[in-house]
Amino acid sequence: MKQILMGNEAIALGLIHAGVDMLSGYPGTPSSEILGNFQKFRDKFKVEAYAQWATNEKVGFEVAYAGAISGKRTCATMKQVGLNVASDPLMSASYIGLKGAMLLISCDDPGFYSSQTEQDSRSFAKFARIPVLDPSTPQEAYDMVKLGTQLSHQFESIVMLRPVMRVSHAREICEVDDALHVKANQGNFERNIPRWGAVPPAGRFRQGLEQIDRLEAIKLWNWEHLIVPKTHMLKGSRVLCLTSGTGDGYVKEAVSELGIDVDILKLDMPYPLPKENLEALFESYDKVIVFEESYPCIEEQLSSVKLYGKLTKHVHLIDEFSKDKVLSAFAKAGVIEPNHAYQSEKYDKELPKRPPNMCPGCPHRDVHYAITKTFKKKKSIYTSDIGCYTLGLNQAAIDTILCMGASISMASGFSISDPDKTVVATIGDSTFMHSGVAPLINAVYQNHKFVLIILDNSTTAMTGRQTTPERTNPHQIDIKRIIEGCGVACHEYVYEQDLNKTVDFMKSLQEAYKTATAPVVAVVREFCVLDKENAVGRLGNVVVEVDEDKCVACDSCITNYKCPPMHYNDAGKMEIDPFLCAGCGSCLDVICPTDAFVKKEEN
Amino acid sequence: MKYQIVIAGIGGQGAVFLVKVLSIASALANQKCLGTENHGMSQRGGSVSCYVKIGDFYAPAIDEGQADLLIALEGNEALRNIQYLNKDKGVIVMNAPKNFPKVDFETHSIDAFKKAKAKEFPIDALNVYMLGVTLALDARFPFTCKEIEEAITAMNAKVAEKNIVVLHQGMNDAKVQK
Repeated sequence: MKQILMGNEAIALGLIHAGVDMLSGYPGTPSSEILGNFQKFRDKFKVEAYAQWATNEKVGFEVAYAGAISGKRTCATMKQVGLNVASDPLMSASYIGLKGAMLLISCDDPGFYSSQTEQDSRSFAKFARIPVLDPSTPQEAYDMVKLGTQLSHQFESIVMLRPVMRVSHAREICEVDDALHVKANQGNFERNIPRWGAVPPAGRFRQGLEQIDRLEAIKLWNWEHLIVPKTHMLKGSRVLCLTSGTGDGYVKEAVSELGIDVDILKLDMPYPLPKENLEALFESYDKVIVFEESYPCIEEQLSSVKLYGKLTKHVHLIDEFSKDKVLSAFAKAGVIEPNHAYQSEKYDKELPKRPPNMCPGCPHRDVHYAITKTFKKKKSIYTSDIGCYTLGLNQAAIDTILCMGASISMASGFSISDPDKTVVATIGDSTFMHSGVAPLINAVYQNHKFVLIILDNSTTAMTGRQTTPERTNPHQIDIKRIIEGCGVACHEYVYEQDLNKTVDFMKSLQEAYKTATAPVVAVVREFCVLDKENAVGRLGNVVVEVDEDKCVACDSCITNYKCPPMHYNDAGKMEIDPFLCAGCGSCLDVICPTDAFVKKEEN
Repeated sequence: MKYQIVIAGIGGQGAVFLVKVLSIASALANQKCLGTENHGMSQRGGSVSCYVKIGDFYAPAIDEGQADLLIALEGNEALRNIQYLNKDKGVIVMNAPKNFPKVDFETHSIDAFKKAKAKEFPIDALNVYMLGVTLALDARFPFTCKEIEEAITAMNAKVAEKNIVVLHQGMNDAKVQK
């Protein structure tokens, strides 16, 4: 039957239809909606299945992997940088293999829409020596979830599915199964110490040999089942395009719209490739061009003087695909004359820049403001982390962003390398649980002196408000007790929409820092303005307006506080957009040097 | 049929909702549809652009010079995305004040913010309002009012009635202005 599905919904439905009944992972754009949609379909179809967020990707991977060893069909979901965190178990699990099935879904982000890197999970699959499927649309993502689960069982190997953002967040009318045909497996762990507990060197050496055999068998399967059927469609042009994932769609559209005479062969499984068979195909072509995102994964597996791609600099090396980039590659490779059919002029005058910003009324904004107000910029280093509060960059309240948890370990490092400055680290509650606890233990262990402020809004806000450990289990897991368990005091502040109070709290941390010999650790109990359950009763209802006689257009508010409703009007005075204002009233005190923000009325 | 739509706006204005409505409308009209949405970082008040491609397409994104229609929930976001419009037949439907800069495309403009400030319709239905304006003014828009109404109902039956009222308000305001 036909259904309109977003890519991540199609993946979730595919998992249900593939009989997967154990799902774990950690949210991260563009992968976040898979697990939530799986829960939705699970409840709709009334199937029994475990589908829960883990504290981080490594944990999520290991939970799902144990399930696969026990014979169940399982899945772990994450974004590509999350795969870095899960890479430790992945590398070993690839040697050991499994009994049931395990699909590892790692969503890539060509174009850096919401990620620190453009890394290619297909290349990671190649490094880890597991097969990878690369869908180009939601329909293919649905089909490949089922195929990948089946292959994982058949070859006793983890199989990766690598959708890019343009697949995960695409929406398409998909053809899906009418009903559930596959029943979930019963889990039954069968003891096999030489396999599950293999130790180096002998045990792992043997598994390494098995891994190589397995890859050879998968290569052959890839050739016979995925590639050969498509070779019958080749028309015998002079140029062959090898495509993978979304690259395929852009090539197909450009070629059909402009009538370019090339053959297109889409590689559904870009690793492992049957190198010799593919290279034999090249014989009847003058040129072979590889179109893939974002690293040269296919290209690196092949060798031929006819081969054109990223390594030969004929195809772009960074950023997501477009049809213009396809034409540019064709032109560089001498297939067509330069063609600008997919270029058009941009608007040539300046437009207001609209970078992502924290929501109006967001407590993070106040905390960042209060930190820079208290710990002066010249004498401080502000390390921060991955989450909505990263957008404190807009307030120039953040100096470093690296990866999950690095705010704390880098604060340790700066406290040693530049001890004259006060290091202030900010990290969200979900990120703290994910990767912040080990660096905090290290900091206490080594007596590193800095200020750590944990911004606890009890949700994973940036990725769509997934639950966090302490939200679900407030009586067992509490940030304050974790900090105290590390042997340091926890300074606690229940956030209020009164900037004076937030600044006073920062001043108390500054006092504590003066005599401290270990990290000064604080937790600010915030809320997310989009989180109806937690924000209720804590959001203001103040209508603020600007006293134009007082406003001197000094930029102070839009530089240091940067709340979206604030903008200059035609008279060159600050104005508050009533449609955007959340009514928190935090701007009333402190931030304006001339007190131009005034309260109008209570709603 | 091949028809490509860029929906531009600011995070929180409901551009993604329009992608969903238009993809349901495509299914109702027995058309293929491939689109793409913005999630995550871009939801936080930043510029948002979503694509809907109706007909035989394989890639979810729209390239420069290709779109038949640009629906902009805010004027500056229309200007930011004009390179996606087809130079011969591209049409802009946008929410912008009267004195807004002119561009070299067939442009239908309505000051929806002004109407929302005057409480003529709720601002959180700006997306549906602009869809109504589009229905009234874009002669080549590939859906009928009935198909859009059905799609809105299929999306969320609970709030459909309210949304359809705003849809018609957008249509009427656009016709009156014309």
